[in-house]
Amino acid sequence: MTVKTSKKLGEKKAKETFRKRDFYGWLIMVPSLVLFAFFVWEPLIENIRLSFFSTKMYEVVEFTGLKNYSAVIHDIDFMAAFKNTFAYTLWSLLIGFFVPMIIGVLISETIHFKGFFRMAVYFPNIMPSLATIWIWSYFFLPGPTGVLNILTGKLGMEPFEWLNNPHWTIPLIIITLTWKSAGSTALIYMANISSISPDLYEAATIDGAGIWQRVRHITLPSIFGIGKTMLILQIISVFQIMYEPMIFKNGGPNNASISLMMLMYRYGYRDYNVGKAAALSVLVCMILVVLSGIYMKATAQKEEA
Amino acid sequence: MKKKLVSLILCTAMAATLLAGCGNGSTSTNETTSNNTTTESNTADTSDTAPADTGSDDTDAPAADAQDEEVTITLGIWPEDTLVDDIAVHEGYVATMGELHPNVTCVPAYYKYSTDTFMPMVESGNCPTIFESWFTEPTKLIAQGAIADITDELKARGWLDAMNPSIKELLSDSNGRVYGIPRDGYALGLMLNVELFEEAGLVDEDGYPLYPKTWEELAETAKTIKEKTGAAGLCLLAKDNAGGWHFSNIAWAFGATLCTENADGTFTSNLDSEEAIAAMEYVKSLKWDYDVLTADPLSEDWGTGFTQLGTGNAAMYIGANDAVNQPTQVNGLPVDKLSICPIPAGPGGQYSLYGGTPYFFSKDATPAQINAALDYLEVMGKAPVATEASVEGMKADAQNKVDQGVPVIKRFPCWVAQDVLDAEAAIVEEYGNVDPKLYDAYFEATSSDGLHLEEPGSTQDMYAELTKVLQAVLTDKNADVTSLMQQADENYQTILDATLNGAE
Repeated sequence: MTVKTSKKLGEKKAKETFRKRDFYGWLIMVPSLVLFAFFVWEPLIENIRLSFFSTKMYEVVEFTGLKNYSAVIHDIDFMAAFKNTFAYTLWSLLIGFFVPMIIGVLISETIHFKGFFRMAVYFPNIMPSLATIWIWSYFFLPGPTGVLNILTGKLGMEPFEWLNNPHWTIPLIIITLTWKSAGSTALIYMANISSISPDLYEAATIDGAGIWQRVRHITLPSIFGIGKTMLILQIISVFQIMYEPMIFKNGGPNNASISLMMLMYRYGYRDYNVGKAAALSVLVCMILVVLSGIYMKATAQKEEA
Repeated sequence: MKKKLVSLILCTAMAATLLAGCGNGSTSTNETTSNNTTTESNTADTSDTAPADTGSDDTDAPAADAQDEEVTITLGIWPEDTLVDDIAVHEGYVATMGELHPNVTCVPAYYKYSTDTFMPMVESGNCPTIFESWFTEPTKLIAQGAIADITDELKARGWLDAMNPSIKELLSDSNGRVYGIPRDGYALGLMLNVELFEEAGLVDEDGYPLYPKTWEELAETAKTIKEKTGAAGLCLLAKDNAGGWHFSNIAWAFGATLCTENADGTFTSNLDSEEAIAAMEYVKSLKWDYDVLTADPLSEDWGTGFTQLGTGNAAMYIGANDAVNQPTQVNGLPVDKLSICPIPAGPGGQYSLYGGTPYFFSKDATPAQINAALDYLEVMGKAPVATEASVEGMKADAQNKVDQGVPVIKRFPCWVAQDVLDAEAAIVEEYGNVDPKLYDAYFEATSSDGLHLEEPGSTQDMYAELTKVLQAVLTDKNADVTSLMQQADENYQTILDATLNGAE
């Protein structure tokens, strides 16, 4: 009997302390919860709500069901933007995914001037994005006055059209994007590499492994996990590319570089059609949810196997 | 226990900081909107006597001597901080306002219209009482209910009939209610960099530029300039809708009509007509046969065009009389080296697209505030009245232009009031700082039948489609103009059907 009560008492006490701990936990989270609710969740829900209404300024006028969605999908520029956005993502994976990884590994293996290289690859990141785009615009200027054309002209080549060639526009924009942001991703890889125990490398070196073998058998497996995360983060961020194509070529030539988010910006801020813009952003969100879902499933299977 | 106490204190501190942060935020918002709050408090004061027609809550009082009530207006038309001399001119206007309308307080609130800032500003109640916008915006802003209906105020002043009828139509909704008044009328012409014409030897014995009279001549002239000076002959726009806007003027010269309004109120796209295709072929030849354009037309927009012209990178550019400060004051072209000639003619005739740059009023402005803002325009000399104050305003403006190296030339008549036109002519006579012969042909052409309003029906969408074709033909030597124009025509018709034709 006594044993039973004491057990009960113990349970009660555990529950109480748990509640108290719970309380402090929540208390700590309150500020961020408030901020999240106010700046993230509420606008998100409002955005979904707006997408089902016709609007005047930011106010809803009447419920129109899926009319905004159908207007977006039947928009003249939608298909071009849709295809381009996937093209951006694919090119960014082809060009941009391995570059920071390679930079990270190389700099980690460097012995002299490590700090300098670290600073150098990160440097483009410090520059304001608009400034980098303007600089690249001078490089890509078609005709004999563009910087790149002056350089290729010295080699006796005819001037290139660069961004004005619709087949090159997206890959070239992705190259500038990679140039700008690879440094910061490389830093993450470097941090990850520096946390690998040096014992592993020492052991491998004693066993006679060269640089390539060390990288292949120690470094790469160790950064595989972070690489996976960077992959989905990159897909999500490149899928929402907007201001680069907007400033480089305003979506041109002839829609060759227009992206979904740029189209959304046009609906919302050029045409003042907030409902349509909201509908498109919900669509983009849904596509990203699906892509993330596929990614999760694929990586989960790999982890099991 | 101590630990818990510490964490509790920490939490409270965090929450307190957060709240304090919020508190600060809201106070500062209050401060920044103080212009507005004063306005609102004044609104409350004046509402008793203001004429009732805005449909706002507080308008059910009899109209009486609103003149004597205190009114505060915020001036979005104030010059930006860097234009010190322009600000001095406006300070003079404010002083005159103080004498003529002592009950009006003017608060500078410089606002440069841009589509990405406008809606949030209006939504937060910070829209200036009066602001300047673009010629592209009226339809959109009226449809969104973002600007004030000023029909009654204009009617009471008798300004409604003084407005150039076609410009009035641009600023009205389908019921004939008027939402803005023109700052300036404009008609497109061809701006010339006279320095480059001189360098290329394209001047007559008196030194006036030999401007091209047809589009064919333009191509040849441009070629000569490029050969002799290395500068581009023509700056053509293909970055945004301004490209399609300029192209429509070229297409008219080739005899095209780009959109027709049918008897039943529907619209038919006509972008793939023979004439329109010929016009596009011509533009294509400027790039691939004559090679007389700037390095990258796809990077040129309204503003960069003036930079190319003003800095001597291009000899010709389609521009209008209301933008003569752009190549000169903004981009450094000497005042006497700018000339405007008529848009060249084509097989279909000679046309100049015309319209007006509008002033709009905040949707939250009370009639008393709108009236005060209109008074301010009167003092600036931008109204259809030739009172002593407004003539003084025009003079101050002209003197400032002379000081800044901006050509003082005739305005394109956006008002039809004869006394205003006379007063303006007298001021151009008195302050004229350029040889009128450099502009004579232009003003002659734009006072005859060649004036052409923008095409009807979702015009911005049409410009967007045309700009896409421009981008294609200027980047691809082998582009098939006919099929591109057919595609554009199909797209534009789809947009017309979805928005204007079948709707309601």
